[in-house]
Amino acid sequence: MPIKVQIPAPLRPLTGGAQEVEVDAGDVAGLIEGLESRHKGLRERLCDTEGNLRSYVRIFVNDEDVRSLQDKATPLKPGDTVAIVPAIAGGVVGPLARRDTRG
Amino acid sequence: MRIVRAHLDAIRAHALSGYPFEVCGVLIGRNGEPGRAARVERVVAVANREQEMPRVRYQIAPEDLIRITREARDLGGEIVGYYHSHPDHPARPSETDRRIAAEGLSDGVIHVVVGVSGGEASATAWVFRDETQGFLDEPLEVE
Repeated sequence: MPIKVQIPAPLRPLTGGAQEVEVDAGDVAGLIEGLESRHKGLRERLCDTEGNLRSYVRIFVNDEDVRSLQDKATPLKPGDTVAIVPAIAGGVVGPLARRDTRG
Repeated sequence: MRIVRAHLDAIRAHALSGYPFEVCGVLIGRNGEPGRAARVERVVAVANREQEMPRVRYQIAPEDLIRITREARDLGGEIVGYYHSHPDHPARPSETDRRIAAEGLSDGVIHVVVGVSGGEASATAWVFRDETQGFLDEPLEVE
């Protein structure tokens, strides 16, 4: 049984508009490679140039953030549901101003 | 984007009641067909999870987004955008908003920004196009 991956709207141009795709993988790293092989360009949106998950992208396995599990080494089993979720944040002051504020 | 007056009023009221802190929320609705504006059908206020500087920063927890995504799907809709307030700052995206949107997954996503000043709240809508173009003005059609 493949793993279901929920795709957020901003990534759907890469999946032909699909809200959910299915991938066979044993862990999160394999899942990302599986996604890339079928939907070229997805890996770049999920990972930085060093292959780490981007700061403002979260991957949840059955409602648990992989950062609190084993990150890209988090194992997957058939029937798991994976959700790709943006981390939404912002505000009028950025990290530079934050450092300035602290002197 | 299209939104009914009551939903827009709810966003402004949330921004005013949360002052002097930034508030945030999620816009539920339907993405428009090509050439048609997205329609907001429900507004969900969520907690600002920013711990250090909630007066000038906001953060929506991914856990909240998962829950809201599921609820929206059950009702036949989806997340079409987000809103947040800028206490004592203009109702337009900041450089921080642009930088984080560029790093995250925000292409084509609507952001309503509410400026709060002198007991008044004004809202503008924007769509994040991509890292190069940044936020573009999104016409706000109040129904």
